[in-house]
Amino acid sequence: MSFSLNEVEATAKRATRGAGYDWGVAEEAGKATRWLCAQGLDGVAELARVLERGFANNLGEHVPIHMEADWAGGMDLCPLMTGALLSDCSHLLQSGPSRIRNLATPAVLLPFAAQAARRQTAIVTVVAGDFIAATDGTQLVLKNEWPAHASVIEVALGDTLTNPRAQKTRAMPDPAAWNMLGRFAHRTYAPATEESRLLGAGAGLSDND
Amino acid sequence: MTTTPRNVERREPARVMRLSRLGSLHQCRLSFMRQLTRRMAAENWVFSRPVFDIDANGVGQAVYSAQGPDRTYSLVAFAHDLPPEQRSDRVIAEAWDATFALFDGVPTKDDIQRLSRNVPLQEAGRVSESELSLSRANRSVRLWAHVVDRLATGQQPDLAQIYKVGYLMRTTAVYGSGKFGAADREKIADRPEVSAPFQAEMLSVYLTRIFVRDLVQHMAKAKGGAQTAQLDPDIARWLGIGNSTGLGMAPFIVNHPILFNNWIMAREEAIARVRSVETATDAEVTMFREVFERSKLSISWWLSEHPIQIEKLVALNADLDAIAAHLDQTGLARIQPWEHLILWSQTALGEEGQELLASLILEPYGALVDGLSSCMADGNSAAFAIDGAMPVTQVRELIRTSFGWALDLDWSAAAHCARAWYVSEEKLEPRLGERFDEPIADYEQPLAPARDAARAFDALDNWSGEAPVAEFLLRHPEHRHTVRRAQMSRVAPYGEIRDNTIGAEVMPIDMLRAKLSFFGATHFDPRSDRWVRICMYAGAPYPEELGPDTADLWVYPELAQ
Repeated sequence: MSFSLNEVEATAKRATRGAGYDWGVAEEAGKATRWLCAQGLDGVAELARVLERGFANNLGEHVPIHMEADWAGGMDLCPLMTGALLSDCSHLLQSGPSRIRNLATPAVLLPFAAQAARRQTAIVTVVAGDFIAATDGTQLVLKNEWPAHASVIEVALGDTLTNPRAQKTRAMPDPAAWNMLGRFAHRTYAPATEESRLLGAGAGLSDND
Repeated sequence: MTTTPRNVERREPARVMRLSRLGSLHQCRLSFMRQLTRRMAAENWVFSRPVFDIDANGVGQAVYSAQGPDRTYSLVAFAHDLPPEQRSDRVIAEAWDATFALFDGVPTKDDIQRLSRNVPLQEAGRVSESELSLSRANRSVRLWAHVVDRLATGQQPDLAQIYKVGYLMRTTAVYGSGKFGAADREKIADRPEVSAPFQAEMLSVYLTRIFVRDLVQHMAKAKGGAQTAQLDPDIARWLGIGNSTGLGMAPFIVNHPILFNNWIMAREEAIARVRSVETATDAEVTMFREVFERSKLSISWWLSEHPIQIEKLVALNADLDAIAAHLDQTGLARIQPWEHLILWSQTALGEEGQELLASLILEPYGALVDGLSSCMADGNSAAFAIDGAMPVTQVRELIRTSFGWALDLDWSAAAHCARAWYVSEEKLEPRLGERFDEPIADYEQPLAPARDAARAFDALDNWSGEAPVAEFLLRHPEHRHTVRRAQMSRVAPYGEIRDNTIGAEVMPIDMLRAKLSFFGATHFDPRSDRWVRICMYAGAPYPEELGPDTADLWVYPELAQ
């Protein structure tokens, strides 16, 4: 099924919250998923892979221990939290590449690299083994398959973009992944009660007038 | 001593962004409906009705097309035969008297077929990237019956009844921006005719009004046959389109701080520009006085059964008398007449009256004001990114600027956090509940920026002032949304409501009215503290009447000759 990017963003945001992340991170995850889908990539499937890991249950182990140039956590790094940090600290890229160790689902880092590129008005490259991505914030160039996990990733300011991917205005996510986000999102909804139906939405007066 | 006219500043956010004031806003020249009708008239839009296939029971479909200089947009309308027991304006409704989609272009038969399988289902259906909005409407049962019966017996409807209700059909939700599969806002954001906020939605309602007029005539004809009267255009003009709006709108203005800022700031800038005008010409004064008189007529038709609005209307009517008396006494011949009038209003009128006056003084000054229309969309997606290098002290200062009033409040006291916003699993609609009486706190939506700001402010206090806020956020992601908002406030000084949105006393209808006033709505009629009916386009010209002379001031009724 074809979804609007707005639907993708809203669902991804709710799902991330439902998976236990804070609202501010969920907002970022929504934008990130949307950005991947706008590149014609299945951002929904990538986010589902991250949420499935359950990092939010023990988040302290999955974020960089310190902010110095070589980022590593106690366990695999969460790409949402690490991506948010990369975007927050995009200015640090001006003084040299950042290295990230043991990052889960590196595809999810790309939209945050794009946000860093927009903030620095520069091209940002993300390299993990033979996988290379480059973005100016809007457009994206990919070389080779991204890994499911990266033991070392290097993020740096780069120079040119050749043959960027075509932008998409709709998303066609993997149905199983979409359903998984739906299940996570459902955790943010309060069960319907008659009290809520009557009081919460403020009904009462007849509309047959 | 000579006084040189000074450049009047915009009003302070601390004054403007209080909920009671936002809940007293009135439409103005910058309202989205008026932006649309001005544009359609200036650009000579052409309207047509390529399909009107409705049976004697009022069931069928119709298409209304509006052709601008570059593109055509079409309302695809489905009319239904709805049993009264199913008629509900609530979002939990599952059937309606009429359902609509705004199609980007002119639909083919296949498009109409596809839409006929989805649009009547509303939330349970799917639309596509070719559709810009999805909406539905219910009849005002009494007025509908009155108009049909009168026309069918060869008579015209009673104007007094029309003034009282204002519309034949009431829309409920008008969904845009990618909802239920429709096109994203980005698809149309760069088109001049729909780049301003909610223009596609306003167009859909404008076309809906034409459909409703045609449908009531059709139904009268089906009943009355040859003796049926043709609805008098001078009566038809007073048929607006109603809207019933619930809590879905309240989160919108909290969740879009930059967009909401741009609306408020454009109006505040307009007010400041007019207050700065050195002298008013006779023509400007005459126009203002005329519009004031006409607005009194409109307000005389504004009825509500809600105790709070009844009280506000009493105060507003007293304010109208006070304004009239003040104008008679002091006139507008002095230096900076509008500035004096506004300063006087701040001491003499309630918030309803103050905001009405602030909107009315803009009317003679289209040349100063209307250009601000182009500043009301949100094109600043870059503001979403957090500047992690910002020192903790600066973030705290930003929080203090918007939320200084909230920092010392005891946010654990029941009265200050009595409510919680949540999304119900039923139809996924936003609701407001009692935190201490219902099991909803675990599902709370981030719609209490003031409380969250106070929490972040306290947490930041434990960090070195020079530390980059990124370091803080790495350890405290729970404050990430608050830090983002605080940084946004640098470009959006009017982005934050300066009141408690979860207090025991909060009135969600204030938030609804703030948004609806920018649509250009009139006759706010709260049905509870979280549910409001309004009127749109009453008095507006239909396509055959639309021209430069009728495109703008239609919102102010003229006394019948």
